[in-house]
Amino acid sequence: MQIIQGQPRSADAVIGDQVKSRTIDSLTVFCLGLGAFTIAVAAVLARNSPLPDVAPLLVFAALFALAENQVAVLPNRASASASFMRAMAAIVAFQGQGPLLGALIVGLAGGLYWPHLRSGDWRKILFNSSNFALSSCAAAAAFTPIVHGSGERASTVLLLASVPAALAFSLVNLLLLGAVVSISTDTSYSAVLRELRPRIVQILPFALLGVFMGRLYLDYGAVIIPLFVVPILVARQAFASFLALKDSHQATVRILIGALEAKDPYTAGHAERVAGYAVMIGREMRFNTARIERLRFAALMHDVGKLVVPNHLLNKPGKLTAEEFDIVRSHEAVSVEILTRIDFLAPVAPSATSEAHSMSAGADDSARPIEPFIVAVADAYDAMTSTRSYRKALPQEVAFEELRKNAGKQFNAEVVESLIGALTRSGAQHGAGFEEEPHEFAVEPPTVGTGSAGLGDLADAQAADSPAIAQDQALMASSRINEAAKGRELMRENSTEGASL
Amino acid sequence: MSAVTTVHSVIQIGRPESMSRRTRIAIPLMLGAVAVGVIELVDPKGPWLVLVFLGSAIAAGEMLNLRPAGRVALPLSYAFFLVVVRAGTPAEVIVTIVVALGLAFILSPEPTLWRRIYTTAVRLAAILAALITYRLILDYGGLADQRWLVLLALVFAGVAEIVVSDGLIALSARQANFATHGRTADLAIITTGALMAISYNGIEGHAGMGLWGPVLFAIPLLAAWFAFEQVVAIRRTHDQTIAALSLVPELAGIVRPGHATRVAGLSQRLGSELGLGGDQLSALQSAALLHHLGHLCLDFGDPSGAPVHEADVATKGAEILRQTAELTPSAAILDGTDGTIASDILRVASAYDEISNGDETLRDSAIEELHRGPGYSYDVRVLAALERI
Repeated sequence: MQIIQGQPRSADAVIGDQVKSRTIDSLTVFCLGLGAFTIAVAAVLARNSPLPDVAPLLVFAALFALAENQVAVLPNRASASASFMRAMAAIVAFQGQGPLLGALIVGLAGGLYWPHLRSGDWRKILFNSSNFALSSCAAAAAFTPIVHGSGERASTVLLLASVPAALAFSLVNLLLLGAVVSISTDTSYSAVLRELRPRIVQILPFALLGVFMGRLYLDYGAVIIPLFVVPILVARQAFASFLALKDSHQATVRILIGALEAKDPYTAGHAERVAGYAVMIGREMRFNTARIERLRFAALMHDVGKLVVPNHLLNKPGKLTAEEFDIVRSHEAVSVEILTRIDFLAPVAPSATSEAHSMSAGADDSARPIEPFIVAVADAYDAMTSTRSYRKALPQEVAFEELRKNAGKQFNAEVVESLIGALTRSGAQHGAGFEEEPHEFAVEPPTVGTGSAGLGDLADAQAADSPAIAQDQALMASSRINEAAKGRELMRENSTEGASL
Repeated sequence: MSAVTTVHSVIQIGRPESMSRRTRIAIPLMLGAVAVGVIELVDPKGPWLVLVFLGSAIAAGEMLNLRPAGRVALPLSYAFFLVVVRAGTPAEVIVTIVVALGLAFILSPEPTLWRRIYTTAVRLAAILAALITYRLILDYGGLADQRWLVLLALVFAGVAEIVVSDGLIALSARQANFATHGRTADLAIITTGALMAISYNGIEGHAGMGLWGPVLFAIPLLAAWFAFEQVVAIRRTHDQTIAALSLVPELAGIVRPGHATRVAGLSQRLGSELGLGGDQLSALQSAALLHHLGHLCLDFGDPSGAPVHEADVATKGAEILRQTAELTPSAAILDGTDGTIASDILRVASAYDEISNGDETLRDSAIEELHRGPGYSYDVRVLAALERI
């Protein structure tokens, strides 16, 4: 999908394959009509103005098509708007010899997107060509009178004139794109336009660059073009290798999760779900993209320490001895150790020494990152809403209630409300009856377990002074942030969990 | 704030090595902005307006390096060198360069004085090479069209400064680097520099665009810098993630501390000795670092359970690594299905380290023990290589 400054720019994203047959008809009519209109505009322009030279037309059309085929989505969702830049360059280069027609013809090349050509997707090609042609033509129409009126090619005039040109380009682009989205998705036009509102500030620098490129072309000819295009290609290539490396990092983290799941099949999908909830909370708390990305990785890796816990302890059906309990608990320290070795994640690794004291204060100490609390809440929510060997998944409402009850104590209140708010708004359902992959158990897990190493045992709440705490509590998410206050906190956790059942 | 902390923070400001990169860049840019403002009021038509601008851009550019993989860092200031070459008389240009590099010297993040002096000397040599090349081509170039001549001179000046700079750095590192990796960074610097130069003051008869030219045409170069920085960051994260995962077996107590790192290091040396290619070496590196991962998924440490077999560890580890395309070559090395010498290298390196445990004095006896072969034999070529290195 091609994106211009956060908005879909070409029809690729919009004209999907599964469009209903009724809308295919109106879409086809729209694309044909738009194409015919573009040709009519071209014909009128050709009658009334001088024809532009063929050589620059070919040069700029080729550049435009190249830019379209090179579209890469940049991290901040702003794609380097190379095609718009080249449209502006063409407009400047054709001053004095039919800039409107020149811009229109160059814009037509924008539809020549190789994947569309290969699949013979003529509606997309037609729409994109017409869209770029008319948008470029509109930009030329806004640009030319200003430059002509002043009668010179001074830098300041060119720069000033590029502002209305950028406005005109994005306006026409927006209106046409809005129409095609509205038709193919059966949404009202005004709703679509609100969704796709243009970001003029972001495309202005590209307009200015394009104008200067056009000026240099007028003075020095085509030799200037490689000088201009090479740095852009280099930047794009570097971004492409960044994206490839990001994938391989993702793959490495996948390895870790694979190892965890090979160890403990009950937790299949757990890491991804926790990461998903953590991202939801991060969005709700208005984190920026980079911070959300870091949070996602921290959440994916939050259980890495479990790798050091031998399987027979992880899946032990009965109670753990004091010694075994220590081994199981050591996974939290290992998780912290691993995360702090990765510079990118170190700032959000839960710190074992500083967590406990602020539990009761609601933990909104601004000096410490909130990410560990987010992961803790996401982890606890997933633990409660999925079936484990020792108990079935709890209903979503019960999980919400549990989180709220402990908000300000073992969970950060703001984080809890963010998760509940985001989940409620999205309408997503988890927990009993909504599990993605219900587990098959040889022995059906108890709904509320007593004597099953389950929560029933813990309702006694005497466990705090005894080392024999059931394994799920040791592994329970919420306990992770209570590292320094093991006994006390675990007791409270036990009693609250038990009480709700 | 107590007096002690106040004094401390003043000392911090006086110590450039403790400054953030943002501060290092902001200082020359702010100094430049103030100076440009003053000159704009006093002498707007003279050459110093642009020279001061370029000087501060050079000093700031010294703090921003293009760092593609496999290439020494290339500072953005090299692009501005090409602009300054045509921006004034040789005397004015030299004064500008000296002031700019002086400022960069003060703000340099290099830890030692010697490194700072060396870096500054390299830059001076580079700009000198650019100046001389540009002048020579303009004076003796036989092209009728002045525009072509200037463009050619600029491009060759760019090549000259990079060749001289890389050559001097290779000299100090005592190894020549003719690798073709990361040369796109060179292209970006040279083309941007040439574009900024001609857009600033034009070529005979074609008016320039003034400072707008260098300012705007620096944008794509800055985008390239940002992209390269992203690559550097994600590569470091990726390597650190693998290194951190490689530590888990020792934290679990199933191997001795440092085992994975030592095996990875030894495998790399054996691999290079036996002529493995770059891709094979990096697959071997990951396989070596993660070769005990499978162990963690088996039931280790259970006194009542069955003992863990080495072959099961390899099979399980390979099974996990095979889940991603990226690490599939490493998986094949791990379980020996790749059919190359890489998996023999890994077996030997791992067994050697288990015997010697990083103790160099045990080297000979460890090799001897491997020759005898506990149960199965190790590849003789690998053992021979182990004896050589």
